[in-house]
Amino acid sequence: MTAQEYQAPESVNRLQNSALAVGAIALVLGCFLGLRDPEAKDAFFRAYLMGYMLILGFALGSLGLLMLQHLTSGQWGIMIRRPLESATRTLPLLLILFIPIFTIGMQHLYGAWMDPEKLKEEPLSLMQQSYLTQSHYRIRAIIYFALWLLLAWIFNRLSRQQDVNREDRALRQRFKMFAGPGIIAYVFSLSFAVIDWVMSISPHWASTIYGFLFVAGQLISSMALMAIIVVFLAHTGPLAGLLQKRHLWQFGGLLFAFNMLWAYFSFSQLLIIWSGNLPEEISFYRTRLYGSWGIVAVIVLIFHFFVPFFLLLSKDLKRNQNLLPKVAMWMIFMRLVDLYWLTQPEFYHNASPHALDFVLPIALIGLWLAFFAWNLKRAPLLPLGDPKLAEAIASHEH
Amino acid sequence: MEQRAQLYGVMGEFETAHQLLHAAEQVRDAGYKHMDAYAPFPVEGLSEALGLGRNLVPLVTLLGGLGGGLGGFGFEYWVNIVSYPMNIAGRPLNSWPAFIPVTFELTVLGAALSAVFGMIALNGLPRPHHPVFNVHRFLRASSDKFFICIEATDPKFNLAETARFLHGLNAQHVTEVQDE
Repeated sequence: MTAQEYQAPESVNRLQNSALAVGAIALVLGCFLGLRDPEAKDAFFRAYLMGYMLILGFALGSLGLLMLQHLTSGQWGIMIRRPLESATRTLPLLLILFIPIFTIGMQHLYGAWMDPEKLKEEPLSLMQQSYLTQSHYRIRAIIYFALWLLLAWIFNRLSRQQDVNREDRALRQRFKMFAGPGIIAYVFSLSFAVIDWVMSISPHWASTIYGFLFVAGQLISSMALMAIIVVFLAHTGPLAGLLQKRHLWQFGGLLFAFNMLWAYFSFSQLLIIWSGNLPEEISFYRTRLYGSWGIVAVIVLIFHFFVPFFLLLSKDLKRNQNLLPKVAMWMIFMRLVDLYWLTQPEFYHNASPHALDFVLPIALIGLWLAFFAWNLKRAPLLPLGDPKLAEAIASHEH
Repeated sequence: MEQRAQLYGVMGEFETAHQLLHAAEQVRDAGYKHMDAYAPFPVEGLSEALGLGRNLVPLVTLLGGLGGGLGGFGFEYWVNIVSYPMNIAGRPLNSWPAFIPVTFELTVLGAALSAVFGMIALNGLPRPHHPVFNVHRFLRASSDKFFICIEATDPKFNLAETARFLHGLNAQHVTEVQDE
């Protein structure tokens, strides 16, 4: 097995170009729609944050899955290890795409703790006054990105070293050494990041499980993306014929598990807040479970949880390479609907999506996919030095 | 009282798991339906090689889970709304969020119990004795030998021919199995 044999096929090039074209057109359209007047500017950044959290989920969820795979050292991740690594290498792009939020976006999103007028009406607690400031928000954002970029760099570098030093046992151990603390760092840093970036939109409400909602959501979106990408890569090129039903079965099973995890966390938060019934906590559900937002909540419950739950119970569906990517695409779309339901009720009284709520996520997904495809071409599609590779691609089917 | 011995089937003995897998495929392809394979450890792909098809355990588990969940929620609903309605902190009687944890637990319980007991029942267990144990060499099925038994109930079964067929598959020993 040589590195040349496992280069990305031509279809990855086409994916990169068409995603870039769609993303660029949508971004231009979004800027045209969003930067006309101050009100449209508000709508622009609200939709931007929502789309940004989705693509951040692709990259960070992949980082989480990658570390999980190194830690459990199972066979299941071998087929998607290189796509996962490519997704983590998109973090520099996410850093650049964070700049609009980091600079002018803040005043459009975090009026509740930045606008002196609003602070007079509803003052922050002393603790919040020192935590939620513009400079502290920015310092923390730099720390989160530094940590994520460092983790992504470590695992990509070790992985490329393994391609060359295939028998190096110390190297195999090093993956594990970094993956354990890395996973803890990922969960904590993401939890803090979403408190800063999303939860602080309404600073008077707090939930301790909030970060875990995003951890589970990110694992869903990156696992779904991987199920789509692995089937896409197996159509042509070096992986054709290597992808087997048992691989898809594992990916479908994990997607099912992460969806359950997401539902478990979401319901835990609802149950605790509903039982407590305290005025400052219940506001979250008062705005989200009634009126038109209530309809969105029911859509999320049925189409994000129940429908994929029953579909993914089927062993045949999980092993079917035509159907599994379709369910996975649906789950990514529902992640966006869930993010819409989590973020936008703080800004709008009614659930009536703005044109920008479609255009900007498409723009961001397009740009992200283009950069992801570009990264896929930088390394062989299989981790050639992984000791479990032979076992993982061996055919057991008669 | 004398019991008449009845023919249960013909058994072939194999040396390795690979030979067993290969033989099972050929027995299946020859058109035999009533047979079973015995090995000291799980052999991957053996049930496909025997052409066993799907079993009913997933369906039983699904039904058990649905029954547990609906039963759990239904019981809570009946207690809180029909049988003994009580005003708790002014909440509605049908406070469904509070019912969900028990519903979930009973779904898991129903699914798990029906999976275990469904598997046992579908395997025909408990079963104190099986005709294959009448073959002395079969004791080694739990240590280092692999066996295929083609049963006499099979429409294609013919003692002499089936035995010859098993010999043809390079079985080391071919034995008649009597059901006493």
